[in-house]
Amino acid sequence: MPVQWQLVPGQSLLHRSWDGQVVLYNEVSGATHLLDQDTLDLLHALRDGELAPEDWANAELQLALAELRKLYLVEPC
Amino acid sequence: MLTVASLAPAALRARLAGDGLRLRTGRFSVRLQADMPSVAAGIGQLYADYPLLQDSDFADFHLHLKRPRSARRWLRPQVRLHCDGYEMFQPMPLQHAFPMFEWGLNWCVSSRAHRYLIVHAAVLERQGRAVILPAPPGSGKSTLTAALCGKGGWRLLSDELTLLELDTGLLVPNPRPISLKNASIDIIRAYVPAAVLSTPVHDTTKGTVAHMRAPGAAVARTADCARPAWIVFPHYSAGAATTLEPLARAATFMELAGNSFNYSVLGAAGFDALGRLIEQAAGFRFRYSALDEALDTFARLDER
Repeated sequence: MPVQWQLVPGQSLLHRSWDGQVVLYNEVSGATHLLDQDTLDLLHALRDGELAPEDWANAELQLALAELRKLYLVEPC
Repeated sequence: MLTVASLAPAALRARLAGDGLRLRTGRFSVRLQADMPSVAAGIGQLYADYPLLQDSDFADFHLHLKRPRSARRWLRPQVRLHCDGYEMFQPMPLQHAFPMFEWGLNWCVSSRAHRYLIVHAAVLERQGRAVILPAPPGSGKSTLTAALCGKGGWRLLSDELTLLELDTGLLVPNPRPISLKNASIDIIRAYVPAAVLSTPVHDTTKGTVAHMRAPGAAVARTADCARPAWIVFPHYSAGAATTLEPLARAATFMELAGNSFNYSVLGAAGFDALGRLIEQAAGFRFRYSALDEALDTFARLDER
């Protein structure tokens, strides 16, 4: 059974985007992250519950979410 | 309005040695006590144009330079700095007393004035538009700042602390003496002959230090805030050609946040203020070695 993920509670994804680059304020850790637009889109999809059950089986997606976990942006649910 | 210059040297020394001299720098009021001739000389020379406050006026910061009465005062006298009653720094040699005051006052502002986003950066204005110069020590920031305000027609808002007002997004002036280090002292003496420099102090933690008096016109306009237009990261490199290269906004944001004293203290409010700043001001990386070329580049920033 693949791991399913959610945003860490308290994250509102406060961000600014310019030219495909994103700065995002992490309201849990207080850090600011430099991300790309695809990563922000993934976080929005998580927040909005847009991931389909079959998406969780994608290895690349799991790897990306595991990296975001290190930043305290997402967590398994 | 009375200025520090209205005090005769003896009266200035007496205030410093007694209950303290109260003066205004930008939006901050400062009370300084220091029974040391070098500090009185530095204040008289570099703060003559600053508003003088009355003994009964409120002071944001209380700084007291003291000579410890230990036995070593006979051989290697030291000075200690108390800020609002607390000693925040290691003692320094007595001859470093005036630079210690400057550094201590910078510390007071950068650690307390959280109604501003405070960036370790110089800031200057021309025709209502301001350029922010964030840079680590050794980048030539202060040399460039001294040249820009001494010869380039720019108004000095600050050499060290850029104050971005959180609610308005405006840059708030706090012009104070410009700290020149090592070779920069003679470079500015030659490049800006009219500049008033304090007596160099040797063997500080930053090497030899002298302070350049802030232009009187800048001190007189501390009520005039400025709108940010450019963020330029300067880097002096001997023999380098002058180059000004655009910097992506996200990279500018991250680098500016890294140069801020209180970005993390302010949390989401700091993020928001910095985001608005980045959307108003274009970022650049600037390399230079010749001050004439640097001033010419800055004179043409409007074209960028």
